[in-house]
Amino acid sequence: MAKTYKDLREFLATLEEEGQLVRVKEEVNPEPDIGAAGRAASRVPNGPAVLFEKIKGYKGQVVTNVHGSWQNHALMMGMPKDTSTKAQFEELNRRWDKFPIPPNVVTRDEAPCKQNTMSEDINLFEVLPLYRINEQDGGFFISKASVVSGDPEFPDDFNKQNVGTYRIQVKDKDRLGIQALAMHDIAVQLEKAERKNERLPIAIALGNTPLVTFMASTPVGYSQNEYEFVGALQDGVPTDIVKADTAPHLFVPAGAEVVLEGYIIPRVRVVEGPFGEFPGSYSGARLQCEVQITHITYRTDPIFENLYLGMPWTEIDYLMALNTSVPLYKQIKESFPEVVAVNAMYSHGIGVIISTKCRYGGYAKGVAMRLLSTPHGMPYSKIVIIVDEYVDPFNLEQVMWALTTRVQPSKDVTLIENAAGMPLDPSSYPAGMTTKMIIDATTPVPPEPNPRTVELLKDPVDTEKYIAIIRDLQKAMEDK
Amino acid sequence: MKCPRCDSEKTRTMVKSPVGDVWEVFVCENCWYSWRSTETPVVIEKFKLTDEIIATLGVIPPIPPLDI
Ligand SMILES: [Zn+2]
Repeated sequence: MAKTYKDLREFLATLEEEGQLVRVKEEVNPEPDIGAAGRAASRVPNGPAVLFEKIKGYKGQVVTNVHGSWQNHALMMGMPKDTSTKAQFEELNRRWDKFPIPPNVVTRDEAPCKQNTMSEDINLFEVLPLYRINEQDGGFFISKASVVSGDPEFPDDFNKQNVGTYRIQVKDKDRLGIQALAMHDIAVQLEKAERKNERLPIAIALGNTPLVTFMASTPVGYSQNEYEFVGALQDGVPTDIVKADTAPHLFVPAGAEVVLEGYIIPRVRVVEGPFGEFPGSYSGARLQCEVQITHITYRTDPIFENLYLGMPWTEIDYLMALNTSVPLYKQIKESFPEVVAVNAMYSHGIGVIISTKCRYGGYAKGVAMRLLSTPHGMPYSKIVIIVDEYVDPFNLEQVMWALTTRVQPSKDVTLIENAAGMPLDPSSYPAGMTTKMIIDATTPVPPEPNPRTVELLKDPVDTEKYIAIIRDLQKAMEDK
Repeated sequence: MKCPRCDSEKTRTMVKSPVGDVWEVFVCENCWYSWRSTETPVVIEKFKLTDEIIATLGVIPPIPPLDI
């Protein structure tokens, strides 16, 4: 059974034991220190989480870059920290099939997130050391929240309850701006509430066990519950949840550091942004929804977990790498069992590489079109590369080999114009419309002609043996 | 005090530091830009706002019609 974590604190302890968490003990300024450290940590090889113990003017601690390296990602899954990306992808796929594992509902007394309550004179700054992440951000942002909301039409339907990550701007001591893009689940719920001019209750959970955060940013079906996936990804160990205080139909992670409760104000939009976004550029100011916070619960001495995002790669690219790849793989695999792996790690799946065996001519193009018709792939995926089944899509050297030696652009590159795009992709114009490109980098199979068949090079016999010999010799030199 | 983004005078203190009296956070009630007293905010030209610009900003998500 894989190691699992009840809450963020247990995970931080493991990261520290494994040398993947560092502490800054000296007092720092909120700006620019915390943002700069988040940027720096993802540039350092094997980037650790960075915990700030003292921030000028604030009570609590901040931790950043918790998910920001493949080592931390492997430890999140309870695997050895040197596990390869492809092996982590395969293990995630295996555990994914355990869905659903119903969560364990605990009482209010048993839930650490209820240790302290603030229900009047709400002041977010008393509980959270808020800070500006990037210089041109329009304010202080909460970038790593798990936002829980229900479907107003089916408030008691647990499966339609959504846990998602949306960017949040602090607008006042008790008020937040939130980005609910039309393509996101929460927008479906909000529209139902706004049609009736009703408030949409929400609970914002901060500082969660790492697989809760991971699932909150995973694109799953509208009626698939994220907590049931957390149990699956914990290899069958249910995760603990508890009722929210002000909206008892909503469930929050029991071990959360901080839970902000309130509601989206119906039919109101206020200036939000700019915000440095995951494609590596700022998204400008827009009129967006606002949340009134009415109630806060928090653990004693809460730790504020937030992430840096900027020019890729940063923590968000690690967080949204395999959790974008796995659901797309599962959906495509259902129709095309020949598909071997999906790498959708580039800007949340705007760029995707799929490896597949081709059953007949034109197969690669069909696989690409299946990707482009999945709920996530339709708006997001723009550059799609299909490679043969023996090419590892997580190995970019191998992918470049396929592009350079398998692609005849005049027939293998296809453009699909005027298609859905991701609005935050600055090349989409108007925002949300784009051209898709499919590159078929597979070897032609009949009935597609392949007039110049080749014999692929194979590794000499004993190559594997010599890999071990060379590695041992190298290690012996290091040990000297 | 003028807002560094929209030049409005409709600014106020949002909050003072919970520990010590070491900083304040200011907010503009016209464009909702906020900044800390320890920062020297420089809003680049591209992100400056005027009332005309605010009136034409995109609305996310669109507000649906009311059910009758
Ligand atoms: Zn202003």
